[in-house]
Amino acid sequence: MSAVVTVSGLRKSFQNEDVIKGLEFDLTKGKCIALLGANGAGKTTTLQMLSGLLRPSAGSIAFDGVQKGEDFRKLIGYLPQHPVFYEWMSGREFLEYTGMLAGLSKKESKERAEELLEMVGISNAKNRRIGKYSGGMKQRLGIAQAIIHRPKLVMLDEPVSALDPFGRREVLELMERMKKETTILFSTHILNDAEEVCDDILFLHKGEIVESGSMKELRDKYQQSKIDLVFRGESDQYIEKLSSLVEIQSISVHENKISFFVHNIDDAKHAFLREITDRNWPLLKFEISKTSLEDVFMKVVEK
Amino acid sequence: MELFNSINWAAIVPIIVPIILIQLILLIIAVIDLCRIEKTNGPKWLWAIIILFVNLVGPILYFVIGRRNQ
Amino acid sequence: MNLWMVLFNKELVEMSRNFKWIWVPIVFILLAVKEPLTLYYMPQIIDALGGLPEGAVIELPVPSASEVLIAILGQFNTLGVLIIVLTSMGIIAAERKSGVAAIILVKPVSYASFVTAKWAAAMLLLWVSYFIGYVASWYYVVILFEAVPFIDFFQSFLLNGIWLSFVLTMTIFFNSFNKSPGVVGFITIAIIILLSVLSSSFSHWLQWSPSLLPTYTNTFLLSNEIPDNVLSAIIVAIIGMIVLLVCSISIFRRKELA
Repeated sequence: MSAVVTVSGLRKSFQNEDVIKGLEFDLTKGKCIALLGANGAGKTTTLQMLSGLLRPSAGSIAFDGVQKGEDFRKLIGYLPQHPVFYEWMSGREFLEYTGMLAGLSKKESKERAEELLEMVGISNAKNRRIGKYSGGMKQRLGIAQAIIHRPKLVMLDEPVSALDPFGRREVLELMERMKKETTILFSTHILNDAEEVCDDILFLHKGEIVESGSMKELRDKYQQSKIDLVFRGESDQYIEKLSSLVEIQSISVHENKISFFVHNIDDAKHAFLREITDRNWPLLKFEISKTSLEDVFMKVVEK
Repeated sequence: MELFNSINWAAIVPIIVPIILIQLILLIIAVIDLCRIEKTNGPKWLWAIIILFVNLVGPILYFVIGRRNQ
Repeated sequence: MNLWMVLFNKELVEMSRNFKWIWVPIVFILLAVKEPLTLYYMPQIIDALGGLPEGAVIELPVPSASEVLIAILGQFNTLGVLIIVLTSMGIIAAERKSGVAAIILVKPVSYASFVTAKWAAAMLLLWVSYFIGYVASWYYVVILFEAVPFIDFFQSFLLNGIWLSFVLTMTIFFNSFNKSPGVVGFITIAIIILLSVLSSSFSHWLQWSPSLLPTYTNTFLLSNEIPDNVLSAIIVAIIGMIVLLVCSISIFRRKELA
């Protein structure tokens, strides 16, 4: 399992303001990695540095098999957040043009363009001028130009954020297919999208990676069992009693809802229920659930 | 009528015809372009008026200023 | 080289899609034709405007062909230059501003090819338009005034054309570090005016200045002799263009494109 790209100590500041504060990570070959973070976390800046559009203020980005000073651009494909094209070209012309710029021969470029137009589903509009394309069509054309030269690393900046649910589904499916051929790094602020197609997550917050790892690791790490209780009347008196019964990780109270986070859900469930029935407390609601990554995401972002 | 006859047409045709022709070409391509383009700097109808009624300079102004590239 | 042709070809196609190949030559033709016509019809124009007051006698000497050509080049060097700057001020800047450069330059495209292909395409458009315009002016000068030897016509064409090329190259240069086409246009025009004023007021010290090439062209047309300093001005112009291009490329390479 080798890394396609290794990033160390990556920093970027604009007008003395640190936007990216020292990123360390590497991207494993063949994986799909989500760069997750709220708006303003520094996702776009990170991608722009990786694609060579911005120069890092400090740190290094090393691509596998590329010496320092060599052109790494043939290895990467990049889709900006708001892709802009030559509107006077047709979709087919644009793909052929970018294919040739990426080093394909005229013939290869033609064939690959046809193939990709088919794959991303805009082949019926291939001879129309890009100026007449809808947002979703432009997004797909953007994906096609990013992978035309079969790059080792494809970077997509918010590829689904601007799409309607239908378009989003299609692009996610497209990424699912691309995953088989290449490494994908894509940024998003929506955890759901990341969970759907990604193996790994880089969680960016205010220019720092606050959490990273595989989807499964993170789920195991952060998934806690939770018991929500609602009583009639003042509930303060019950908290102390209940929390002394079993080992509790944390407690949170929202209005009259008490949430207990516990390690062993079965023990806690029995102990709580027995105590409540024995003492005949006025229980209104008893709910067992698990925290999701979304909760974790929210917690970090709100901090 | 007298004025009309007094003009030496044989001398004037090779001078004036090429200019009119060129002017016409310029006008036509400006109109074609205006029809095809999605957006212009400023309202489209205004450019239509400028192209059609401001002799010579109108179409040139349209290409230089009115056309929004990309 | 192959990649360079791809980039160059794209520029040519773009110029034909936005009709530059038609309207820029036409503008040069119109600029060229205006002068000989007004000069030729000046007596009739004055008549039509009510004629001269009684008693006033103005001798209107028929201008020589050289004088007419000089007037035409004067049009090229003012309004023509304006058109050159206006049509090329966004050639790189607009692509950066719109964001399309972010897609193109993430591909393994050499910055040198990117800049020089644009320069070459703009040069081709300039020389074709300028040539057609000047040929049209030749036609009118010959039918309305007198025959001009082809060699005079051609030499003045080349000489003045070098100055126009220099102007174009400056526009490309300012494109390399400015995102706004308007700013590029403004700076270029300002520098051209400054250069022209400086070198005509200090012409003794700045005899090699490329901005004196139009003046030298006029001298040549009037006296039929090539002025002494033409060669140095040509050399400075050509070296200047090379330096400007090299600088454009290296500045552009260092620029952050996002």
